[in-house]
Amino acid sequence: MKQDYFEEIAEYILENQKRFYRIAYSNVGNPQDAMDVVQGAILKALEHSRDLRDTGALKTWFYRILMNESVNFLKKNRRELLVEEPLEESAAVFEPEDGESEDIGEKLKCLPTETQNIIRLRFYEELSLQEIAEVTGRKLSTVKAKLYRGLRALRVEMEGIAL
Amino acid sequence: MKRMEESRKMYENMVIPEELEGMVEECIRQARTKRAESLKEETGGEKAEGIETGEKRIGKSQAAGRNTTGKIFRWAAGIAAAFLVVTTVGLNTSEAFAMEVQKLPVIGDLAKILTIRSYERTEGDTHITAEIPGVELGESDNGLSKEVNAQIEKMTSLYEEEAIQRAEEYKEAFLATGGTEEEWAEHDIQIKVWYEIKCQTENTLSFVVKGTESWTSAYAETRYYNLDLKSNSFLSLEDVLGTDYKSVADGQIQAQIEEYTKAGETFFTPEEGGFTGITGDTSFYLNEKGNPVIVFEKYAIAPGAMGEVEFEITR
Repeated sequence: MKQDYFEEIAEYILENQKRFYRIAYSNVGNPQDAMDVVQGAILKALEHSRDLRDTGALKTWFYRILMNESVNFLKKNRRELLVEEPLEESAAVFEPEDGESEDIGEKLKCLPTETQNIIRLRFYEELSLQEIAEVTGRKLSTVKAKLYRGLRALRVEMEGIAL
Repeated sequence: MKRMEESRKMYENMVIPEELEGMVEECIRQARTKRAESLKEETGGEKAEGIETGEKRIGKSQAAGRNTTGKIFRWAAGIAAAFLVVTTVGLNTSEAFAMEVQKLPVIGDLAKILTIRSYERTEGDTHITAEIPGVELGESDNGLSKEVNAQIEKMTSLYEEEAIQRAEEYKEAFLATGGTEEEWAEHDIQIKVWYEIKCQTENTLSFVVKGTESWTSAYAETRYYNLDLKSNSFLSLEDVLGTDYKSVADGQIQAQIEEYTKAGETFFTPEEGGFTGITGDTSFYLNEKGNPVIVFEKYAIAPGAMGEVEFEITR
């Protein structure tokens, strides 16, 4: 029988469920839908536990499922009510305001969804760029370019950031 | 970089619904049961029995006896209350308060569906947009239009009322859990009631009336109307598919579920409250081709992330 990491996956999910929720919430924007997305991702991962080749890839494998689930959810539920198209990448440069009101989290929401996710995965979830490339299915160079552009739009000083 | 650190802290302080942990455990439990079943099938029983031992083993009778028909998947109510992080929904809303009657003839001369009331209004912090439809069926109308219109009126006004109530409860909970009025003001609470025409021919009219709320999809309401304009009556699946409508539809749905599953989608098993067959009351509409499309509401046969699930049945 093929190797199956069901138990390892289950354990990983239990340990990291709050991370998944935060990612899902950031994508879909409300608690119920975030719960639905997390649930969908968990069920898919466990159902396809045999697709995971080795446990070293567990994290990127699961994040990828979670991201796909979020994207699919948004596609299916694209009601006029909820989603407004994000600004084109070039358009979003923010004027820095008085120190206090510069909340990156809020500004982040104005960037294209994929860029938002790349920034969150890099700085909130501390994934490496290589890992993000695996999660998003993008080339490493594409991930880098999107990250740079996003950070520039956010006017985050890039010195000292390990890219 | 300091700002990034701060924003990360805020991110990590996001309020997590209490229901998350239970949901995750339940998912794992269900997946484990499902897996044990499929291992048994694959290995002819004996081997699987050996693998699933101790507390991990969940007997079939137990799973069936639980009979929660997917209820565990419907944690929805109450989560919004535990929710603190402020999100602004990007949507342009006109403050205009408009109440007008519009007539949009759609179907020939005899029967038509029209917007009988269209309005925008604000109640407290809640913005309501409504387009309430009604049907007119011409001379041969035997009272069907009256019945349909009364149903629509009742459903839409009840939905609106309840959605406003939910918005108020949401606000209360938001303030009670430490949110401020200013933060609340950033919420853009919207309720929308509208309709869509699915199919219109000389003989049939199929349309759907919907109610949605901008802050949650858990209470969305959908009602389908399929009318036979010749006999002025409601169309049933039996009228469309014939007397063996049930087996025809069940067979095609089962096949489509298998296709979806192959493509990686997840459905509940019958034990979890998944698809077991349609009934005469199962929701459907007619698409442009005139084929019935059977609709299962969110959570009915698949996890919530699948949303509504539709199956076109070919005749």
